[in-house]
Amino acid sequence: MDSLVAQYTRPAFSEAGQSQEEQQGLSQASPELSLKFALPPVAQSASWLRAMTDDYSNPNCPIKIAHGTTTLAFRFKGGIIVATDSRATAGNWIASQTVKKVIEINNCLLGTMAGGAADCQYWLAFLGMQCRLHELRHKRRISVAAASKILANLVYSYKGMGLSMGTMCAGVTPQEGPALYYIDSDGTRLAGNLFCVGSGQTFAYGVLDAQYQYDLSDEDALELGRRSILAATHRDAYSGGFINLYHVKEDGWVKHGFNDTNPMFWKTKLEKGEFSNVTADLV
Amino acid sequence: MASGYDRALSVFSPDGHVFQVEYAQEAVKRGTCAVGVKGQDVVVLGCEKRSAMKLQDTRITPSKICLVDNHVALAFAGLNADARILVDKARLEAQSHRLTVEDPVSIEYITKHVAGVQQRYTQSGGVRPFGISTLIVGFDPNDETPRLYLTEPSGIYSAWKANAIGRSAKTVREFLERNHKNDMDREETIKLTVKSLLEVVQTGAKNIEIAIMAPGKSLEMLPVEDIEKYVENINTEKQEEAASRRQGRTPGTGTAAILTRTSGGASQPGA
Amino acid sequence: MEVLLGITGKDFTIVAASKAAMRGATILKASDDKTRELNSHSLMAFSGEAGDTVQFAEFIQANIQLYSMRNSMELSPSATASFVRGELARALRSRRPYTVNLLLGGYDKIADKPTLYWIDYLASSAPVPYAAHGYAQYYCLSLLDKHHHPDIDFERGMKILRMCTEELKRRLPIDFKGVTVKVITKDGIREVEYEDDVKVVVP
Repeated sequence: MDSLVAQYTRPAFSEAGQSQEEQQGLSQASPELSLKFALPPVAQSASWLRAMTDDYSNPNCPIKIAHGTTTLAFRFKGGIIVATDSRATAGNWIASQTVKKVIEINNCLLGTMAGGAADCQYWLAFLGMQCRLHELRHKRRISVAAASKILANLVYSYKGMGLSMGTMCAGVTPQEGPALYYIDSDGTRLAGNLFCVGSGQTFAYGVLDAQYQYDLSDEDALELGRRSILAATHRDAYSGGFINLYHVKEDGWVKHGFNDTNPMFWKTKLEKGEFSNVTADLV
Repeated sequence: MASGYDRALSVFSPDGHVFQVEYAQEAVKRGTCAVGVKGQDVVVLGCEKRSAMKLQDTRITPSKICLVDNHVALAFAGLNADARILVDKARLEAQSHRLTVEDPVSIEYITKHVAGVQQRYTQSGGVRPFGISTLIVGFDPNDETPRLYLTEPSGIYSAWKANAIGRSAKTVREFLERNHKNDMDREETIKLTVKSLLEVVQTGAKNIEIAIMAPGKSLEMLPVEDIEKYVENINTEKQEEAASRRQGRTPGTGTAAILTRTSGGASQPGA
Repeated sequence: MEVLLGITGKDFTIVAASKAAMRGATILKASDDKTRELNSHSLMAFSGEAGDTVQFAEFIQANIQLYSMRNSMELSPSATASFVRGELARALRSRRPYTVNLLLGGYDKIADKPTLYWIDYLASSAPVPYAAHGYAQYYCLSLLDKHHHPDIDFERGMKILRMCTEELKRRLPIDFKGVTVKVITKDGIREVEYEDDVKVVVP
């Protein structure tokens, strides 16, 4: 019996070692955060991408990345307001007027998208996946700090390779309360009370900074968020479409509509007398 | 009996054993004893310390109780040298966790990591399992509940109110099962730890190490003099108890105060 | 236009860093903390390429803390400076270097002396009595050359810092939103309230 067993077991010993990949798979508890992508067959993919997509220095560049946005988020006593426009542009071309620029990571966490539409969509979906995995592994919802750091570390690992994103992570957790982070493709990650991101950021800041207070009521805060985006859609050619408005509260976020800016603009103008540079009558 | 199935680590025996892992568990049983006890708002680690040789420098000989992070302590039983590697991996993970999640590790998380490393070494080629069991104690960030976990060479981990590992762990565990109470205060918890260790450590205070963790505080190693006091107290109590038993049920008024303190332990043998 | 300043004295090291976080033409945050505590007696202030700064600082911080855990003692400021310089030098010769300038303030408990190291992104490191990075160098170093002495007390140190920040407010074309000030003494690191509401005028 023993000799029979020995016969079977000997070859097993000689192959007791595992292949390199198996070893690595075993010694690495969780898969790497950075994924492996197929790259174009050029020597320097990063500089190639820059040459092909830079529509600022070369308006006739072959690839026009969808850009141009206004997004904002701010913390106030009732939680966090998140608002975005919905226009996607590729060069001078309006590619879509109905883009969802707020991604719902889970029922307490929101992310916003500005910059390359594809980059943002892909990586925020990836972030959503990581957050869910964190939740399953740790039996607790991920903190906003941790979620934003996953994204920041991720984009940092691709630094200099042509990613273009400016995002915000807003959420509420029992440990940290309402929390807001700004993350961009440089690898910057900042916690703060108020951020505007995108080509229309300056216009949104103008309206928002002037009337922002931490003690805003819920209605005033929602209206201020909406009005700031409206201001940006009016002045920034690359922002427009619909206003996507969210309110993040203690027990999760609440959506406050996806409303067309066009009637909103005329309503604001005609009822409140704002936007007086636009005349309705022919002169 | 094992007939070859104990040679390569990643080979099962026909009846479903991985012998190398079981041998690792034997190595744990040969290590010096370590005890962990949870109190109401404190958790205590106790270790049996091997007697020092005449020329050994005891001040700088490494302890069996080590810090993984400021809020996590780990005690082990088994192969000292293996423990060093495992503790270092735990420390690295604790810092890495702080770096990537901006939060200190929870006790369960680091336990799971340690157990995960141990498991990996039972399923890889060309390696040998860790010959150690560990007790991991501490407090989660912003939390007052004491935590105590056990990990084994197989990679199993479990949570406990009190437990012992290493030499004569069974005796100590049975003692703890008889004497552990919920909601013990700091003094009671330390005393129970020392007392349980004295079940297997004959040489007294100089061969015992005690570490205490309280929420928001750093690890406190109890000085030898303090341990000596606990040992003395316990010994006199035991003697008085024995004496009163010999005299019948007429405890002197002077000793009643001491006896009530250990009422749980004292009443148990009679029950 | 980030400002980093460091001043040592008799028994302290002061480190100051500007509070503005800028991206393009926008100040995103006016209360940014450009410092990280490495251990109980050393503090690192950083400026430079966005992303690199915090990544590098937190990487160093984690490693210094890991050292403390592994060895049950803290790395001295001079050893910390060597380690930081080494990591920068290693990165400098890699595919993607860190573009980060640093000031490393500390208190050496063994020598009982305050320390300050000036480290730039090319991995030069120098122990100095006072230091600055960026445009602040052009305004403040001359001022510090004149007013600094090795044996100044803390009040005098803060006074000199005030002279520096006011000069910067006066002459620097971009508002850096004031500075956060931290002090390292033998008792550890503490943040100092730094009032910054004085109006300065260009004469």
